Amino acid sequence: MKKTIALLLTAVMLLGLLAGCGSAKSETKTLVVATSPDFAPMEFVSSDENAKGNDKYVGFDMTLAAYLAEGMGMELEIKPMSFDACQTAVEMGSVDMAISGFSWTEERAENFNLSDYYHAGDNEDEQIIITLAGNEGKYDTAEKLAGQKVGAQIASLQESLTKEQLPDSTLVTVADLTTAIMQLRNGDFVALAVAKGNGSAIIASNPDIIESGFSFEVDEKYTGNVVMMKKGADDLTAKVNELLAKAESEGKYGPWYEEAKATAGIEVSYDDQGNAAS
Amino acid sequence: MSFTTTVSNVAKILSKYWQVFLIDGLSRTLLLTIIAVSFGVVLGALVALMKMSRFRILRFLFTVYIEVIRGTPILLQLYIFYFVIPQMLPFLKLSPFMWVAIALCINSSAYVSEVIRSGIQAVDKGQTEAARSLGMNANQTMWKIVMPQAIKNILPALGNEFIAILKETSLASTFFVGDLMSKYLEVKGATYLGFECLLIVGCIYLCLTYPLSKLVGYFEKKMSTDSVYAKRKRKHKAAV
Repeated sequence: MKKTIALLLTAVMLLGLLAGCGSAKSETKTLVVATSPDFAPMEFVSSDENAKGNDKYVGFDMTLAAYLAEGMGMELEIKPMSFDACQTAVEMGSVDMAISGFSWTEERAENFNLSDYYHAGDNEDEQIIITLAGNEGKYDTAEKLAGQKVGAQIASLQESLTKEQLPDSTLVTVADLTTAIMQLRNGDFVALAVAKGNGSAIIASNPDIIESGFSFEVDEKYTGNVVMMKKGADDLTAKVNELLAKAESEGKYGPWYEEAKATAGIEVSYDDQGNAAS
Repeated sequence: MSFTTTVSNVAKILSKYWQVFLIDGLSRTLLLTIIAVSFGVVLGALVALMKMSRFRILRFLFTVYIEVIRGTPILLQLYIFYFVIPQMLPFLKLSPFMWVAIALCINSSAYVSEVIRSGIQAVDKGQTEAARSLGMNANQTMWKIVMPQAIKNILPALGNEFIAILKETSLASTFFVGDLMSKYLEVKGATYLGFECLLIVGCIYLCLTYPLSKLVGYFEKKMSTDSVYAKRKRKHKAAV
């Protein structure tokens, strides 16, 4: 019996030891933002090895997050996680908001507080279809795409657009864009619906992929991105909307987006033959 | 997508990101694995003892613990430890890395405890009976007779657990804790070169697990009772 108690005590102490690690944290007000940093040029990881903490995460949305935190007089903390985990994190309240290139959808508006739109250059304004090189002019109209398989990221704006505007094509949903490119090469589908900004980044590093020439009609309510916050966080939402309006009136969005694209562009420099530039 | 493009893309990625993969990613993955397995072994030993305890209630509790952890996906456990537990224990301010490490420790403890328990119980009952009839008490029997034999069963299985956890740390990339797999996600997110990044990360994982599994195989051979007897026999013959 004594031994059992001793063992139990050891276990408790071990847990205490684990708990002790890193528990010292100052109590400054922090704005915790979730993001999925695998989506250049909106949010991605800087190739600069010296970048530490928040500086590691760059792109349009990260500049926006820093702007929001500054405007609220808070310190920014970026929590990276996968795209679907971002939504869970906001729902569970373990982060204040998620900024990860979210488009407005009805389902999201039902379950979350969404901010007003912010516009990241042409990233969302234009939604296009990309395809393999060699298919020039083969898939540039809805008629030519009829009966063909078209890929789109699951739960994305592109998925709804494909359903809406290419009703005669077969929709294939994919988990993420990079996998989608591999599937495109494998012939799982002949064309892939993407936002223009992402499409350009893809084409820049994959010379065997081209724009098909088809672009979707994009309704105005879809052209912006939104910041996602917990349902009922109305004060925070108001504050974010106020700052978004301020950023827009100051004309910040354009330069931010150009800067993000430039940062992303450095990382994908290839010559015409697709060989790595030395 | 030709072979040469792939090779040149791999070279391009490596020249720019080799530190990201080989220094940051690799060290994080190894750190996570070592934390998970070492604490997992300590916890697992405790859990195994509890499960073999004389008290029915303890046995029951720890059977539930083991069954719950072994019966649910590790990804689900990571979500619980990342989102739910921190909310239940708001005074504990741990980094995401620590929460993920704890989740992996707990997960590994359940598997390790079964390894240890089965290792101990695989020792022939006759050994215990013989020791007891020679006048050893339960304690002496356990530590002097049963344990030395059980270790031979346990150690190689622990090596395999290390390899398994090493691969399972890749699931922690859901929360970008900086392990190899999250480095893959980060780099492919910036470059949109998915296949090449997968190749690189896959090679690194393989370079880790292959020598480890060879090592485990070597110890398995060394520790098997047969080889011990064979050695003794050879020695005996040489002496004669």
